Amino acid sequence: MASRRRMLLKVIILGDSGVGKTSLMNQYVNRKFSNQYKATIGADFLTKEVQFEDRLYTLQIWDTAGQERFQSLGVAFYRGADCCVLVYDVNVMKSFENLNNWREEFLIQASPSDPENFPFVVLGNKIDVDGGNSRVVSEKKAKAWCASKGIPYFETSAKEGFNVDAAFQCIAKNALKNEPEEEIYLPDTIDVAGGNQPRSTGCEC
Amino acid sequence: MHEFDLHDLSDDADYADSMQQGSASMTKSGNSNRNSSSEQVGAEIVYLKDNVAIHPTQHAWERIRGRLKLIKQGGSLLMTWIPYEGQSSSARLSEKDKSLYTIRAVPFSDIRSIRRHTPTLGWQYAIVVLSSGLAFPPLYFYNGGLKEFLATIKQHVFLVRLTRLLEGFPFSLVKGTYRSAEDANIFLVNDLQDPLQRTLSSLELPRAVSVANRPTSSIAPSESSFSRTDGEALDKNSAVIQQNGRQRQKHNDPRHLSIQVLEKFSLVTRFARETKSQFLREAHGDGFISNAMKKHDKKPNNYSSVVESNDVHKPLEDVHVPANSSEESSCEIHNKNEEAAMRDENLEYDYDKLSLVWGKPRQPPLGSKEWSTFLDSEGRVIDSQALRKRIFYGGVEKGLRKEVWRFLLGYHSYDSTCAEREYLASIRKSEYETIKNQWKSITKEQAKRFTKFRERKALIEKDVVRTDRSIPFYDGDDNSNVKCLRDILLTYSFYNFDLGYCQGMSDLLSPILYVMGDEPQSFWCFVALMERLGPNFNRDQNGVHSQLFALSKLVELLDNPLHNYFQQKDCLNYFFCFRWVLIQFKRQAVLLLKILSASSQHIMRLEFDFEKTMRLWEVLWTHYLSEHLHLYVCVAILRRHRSKIIGEEMDFDTLLKFINELSGHINLDATLRDAEALCICAGENGEACIPPGTPPSLPFEITSMYNQQDDDDIL
Repeated sequence: MASRRRMLLKVIILGDSGVGKTSLMNQYVNRKFSNQYKATIGADFLTKEVQFEDRLYTLQIWDTAGQERFQSLGVAFYRGADCCVLVYDVNVMKSFENLNNWREEFLIQASPSDPENFPFVVLGNKIDVDGGNSRVVSEKKAKAWCASKGIPYFETSAKEGFNVDAAFQCIAKNALKNEPEEEIYLPDTIDVAGGNQPRSTGCEC
Repeated sequence: MHEFDLHDLSDDADYADSMQQGSASMTKSGNSNRNSSSEQVGAEIVYLKDNVAIHPTQHAWERIRGRLKLIKQGGSLLMTWIPYEGQSSSARLSEKDKSLYTIRAVPFSDIRSIRRHTPTLGWQYAIVVLSSGLAFPPLYFYNGGLKEFLATIKQHVFLVRLTRLLEGFPFSLVKGTYRSAEDANIFLVNDLQDPLQRTLSSLELPRAVSVANRPTSSIAPSESSFSRTDGEALDKNSAVIQQNGRQRQKHNDPRHLSIQVLEKFSLVTRFARETKSQFLREAHGDGFISNAMKKHDKKPNNYSSVVESNDVHKPLEDVHVPANSSEESSCEIHNKNEEAAMRDENLEYDYDKLSLVWGKPRQPPLGSKEWSTFLDSEGRVIDSQALRKRIFYGGVEKGLRKEVWRFLLGYHSYDSTCAEREYLASIRKSEYETIKNQWKSITKEQAKRFTKFRERKALIEKDVVRTDRSIPFYDGDDNSNVKCLRDILLTYSFYNFDLGYCQGMSDLLSPILYVMGDEPQSFWCFVALMERLGPNFNRDQNGVHSQLFALSKLVELLDNPLHNYFQQKDCLNYFFCFRWVLIQFKRQAVLLLKILSASSQHIMRLEFDFEKTMRLWEVLWTHYLSEHLHLYVCVAILRRHRSKIIGEEMDFDTLLKFINELSGHINLDATLRDAEALCICAGENGEACIPPGTPPSLPFEITSMYNQQDDDDIL
């Protein structure tokens, strides 16, 4: 079981609403782009088989709701993540400024065993928009921030498929590096409702 | 036995008297004190009812008939119940036995509560509980008159109906706990110092949650047994929410707050339940309650035992075997053809073979011709309950939605006339324009200094262009309906600035605008909907959390194997149902790949899904069987797929994926029938699973608790 589990690499995509999280995921997994995506409610994921050094892995990519108000759900979805992808829109300053909030919130909610070394990757998306004329976050600025945190950085266009594969290659590699310690999935340690024993006080509401 | 009854009655002088007085034998005369040895001079009989009986055993020949009276003497009200003399020919009932049950002049100061039962079948009865904790056996009102009995009491002593008292809270749960399937109601007698009331009034409520750092401290400390169980409830709820083992100490953490909200819910719930159990235990404890009471109680009397008993935890199909129980009358059993049709559906969707086979057949949607029969000459809805029932079973025809939804959503009141509605519409239109102008008039310079506005506007603009664009109504560039969505949402964020805009709102608004067409009316209908669903979008997510919590409790009650499975898989947070709950089953499976290869056939499919969503919504909005039918719909869908879920050993991830992609394959009519049946069978146990104030219950308003104005209609 443990070895089978290790074949699964769980990746979480975070970032402000509308920066292109769903689009990036779909471009990478399905090589398709649509203008008709819906705002993500709750969470969803897609999977893709990837190969490294003659070994097959399943990359499980989680797409989450971008509105900060839904962050309290993260605790259920972030658990067991191997890598976190932080996405911003190069045309929206606020989405860049929020990257650190997303990073911190992730570390709090996912509570990885070694937060200092947990792998993140930053993607600056939508570089295609308006031929780059509406861009407000310079590559230099983004790189500087990422370097200060030791985070790899990619500029992407989910619409045109630019750099998306390269970015996810890096994401998968980093996820692999974070190979979880044995037994990160402890199956039956949490006894929420008192197990199968009959309870003395009846239905708990 | 029937002959015995007749014979017996013809011999009975009192019965003859009562027949002369007419069937409504309520009298205020003081001339018949034949049997009332305990009555004293100067007393005034304010209520007299013949043929009020007790049933010491389940045998009809052992029933004892008598006369119930309320007597006013001095400042106090007394109750007597005297059995008729020489009534029984049964050797088993001696006069001594009968005198054992006689109630002699009990003052109301000694009475704590009266519980009213009005079962659909059989006689109405009441249980009178004394302050000492003892209860008299149920008094069966063979000739009716229970209502007058309570009305008369209310004229003389302070009487509060518990359900009404608690209605001020959004606590449909508390309310539900006391309202059994037979509409039992508990009336508290002149006892404002009751611990339940004290406790409820001292409870912090969801809106005031920020002060709720020490949940147990706000509970009346004198209730020691209560406090003890608090601990258990707290632990458990904490475990549910924090099952990932994370302990956070930040008091302002939204999750922390929502946990506290749930803890509080559980306290109220538990207390309500325990109070009820106490009532019932007391009734049991003194030995008066006989099998007769059990006969009329569908459920065992002691709530705790209900839940502990294995029967309730068995899957429903084990409990309710159709056709072998008279209790099944409320659940119509399908005929064979229908069952066959259901089986076909099941094959098609690979459903559980164990699917429920009852729940009333669905009807065609309500059409304009039939709709007009619900209206009086001035356009008032004559019987809103009947209307809601009709829509519950069939929905509304497309063209009629525009008119009917306004009532269902609460924008129009059922008793308004056409003219009043027309007038209201014009008022509302200008009100809308006023609020809309608040943001319309914000200049660029002003907006630069108004971050919140800019952010909300940007968020809304991002979402409206992603809302139902595959429906022709919202299709294409520069679609005016999309712009209208934006304007309404932005105006709403000014109308309700505290809540603002949250993702998911555009999904709720879009069908409303589609149906209404008109911008101001859509806005006000949306406002009405958000009155109920607003808490879904609260920052601390407590609205959704309490619904998911209730869902987990309902599954535990209605499908224990599935509950055990989820528990084993660490899935009891039910986050995989988050989307269902947040936007009421919208977002029917729009598989991304299908969108990408959108064909005309697919577009038709999407429209069909849109239509199905609207049908489901109007059924939910009737609140006909329950305000929380949507939770039963969740249970029904999960049950239908139980064998697949368990068979394939789905874990949390797989389950989420499965459910996200399932919605478009939901057979609406069959699911609604299942949900109806589940709701009926869960009865008050089901309602007790749902925390008070859980959306879409209307939110709590603290003032209403103390509002005794409407007490006049308590009976």
